[in-house]
Amino acid sequence: MSERPIEIIRREGEIHVPAIVYDGLKPADLVLIERAWGPTRLRLLQELLGRDVPRSEWPESLHWDWSRKADELRYLEATGFGIVCEREWQGVMLTKTVSHVAQLPAEKGRPLVYVDYLESAPWNWRIRPLGQEGQYKAVGTVLFREAVRQSVKEGFHGRVGLHALPKAEEFYRRCGLTPLGRDRRKQNLTYFELGPTEAEGFLRD
Amino acid sequence: MSTDARFEDRPSREWLRRMAELEDRCESVTAGGLAHDLGMLEAALSEEPWLFGRFIQFARRARHLSVEKLAEQADIDIAEILGIECGANMKPAPRTVHKLAQTLGLSSGKLMELCGLAEPQDEGLRLAALRFAARSEPVTELSAAEREAFEEFVKVLSESPESI
Repeated sequence: MSERPIEIIRREGEIHVPAIVYDGLKPADLVLIERAWGPTRLRLLQELLGRDVPRSEWPESLHWDWSRKADELRYLEATGFGIVCEREWQGVMLTKTVSHVAQLPAEKGRPLVYVDYLESAPWNWRIRPLGQEGQYKAVGTVLFREAVRQSVKEGFHGRVGLHALPKAEEFYRRCGLTPLGRDRRKQNLTYFELGPTEAEGFLRD
Repeated sequence: MSTDARFEDRPSREWLRRMAELEDRCESVTAGGLAHDLGMLEAALSEEPWLFGRFIQFARRARHLSVEKLAEQADIDIAEILGIECGANMKPAPRTVHKLAQTLGLSSGKLMELCGLAEPQDEGLRLAALRFAARSEPVTELSAAEREAFEEFVKVLSESPESI
């Protein structure tokens, strides 16, 4: 597992705080991460149920369980990334480099980094009906940036593909990804792709 | 695109702040899947083995039945009901669940689902069960809130009665 210092933003006081990006997570790491996140998921679920918040306003990945994804890390093409800040896992991402190829017309068939899963820790979610603002900001951005970096390193010129959950579509569109339609094989989620030019734009400060 | 210093280094603070604002304006950054087979709703239930026992206890008390009386009406051993209610018996026999459903006026199929004897089919049932779990505390008298949660759960459990 390799590590690199970065920064994320703590909402309280709006300050930049040091964090570490790890790549090469092991299956056991995902089990530990879910052990740390699971109680918060359950508490949020109980609060949402207790306050009769409509299902449409629930966080879409509330029911996820990273420990169930641990087996996927056994594949050679899979890489797990995680961000640690103040001794807690703040976000996790799993990418694949072989099983998916580019769909953008100009890039069709070329290799890309596919973001299998990306999620911020449940205490970082903004859940308006519960008045939860989220502790750390930019966690998703930093993780997605790692996927673009991985693509450049692999020689894939920044090509990245992913299936965004409905509430995250706007974020990826604004990051420069192109929506390429709903995918019936993936619960009808919209498939998005970042091409080389847009990747350059995304990484440019 | 070439590998350059900008790409190797961490992003600038200005860029990060701009992106954080974008993240904030959008509702989520999650990518992956929605499928419940990735999910933990089921896991949450299976990790709450006391739920079935607590529910049976509530159902009995709401009907003003003693354990003895329920045992008699359902033709089940008192010890078996006590075991279920205190969570010691988390896998009751199908006959027991069927008899309890009959006596308490509930759908035996859904009760089987609740105690893990049948494969979960009904999303509404899982949510109702979680709602019940979230609101109920094992106390002597049912509070108004508990009664409401309980009645709501009973409603789901009583819908479309089915036989095993």
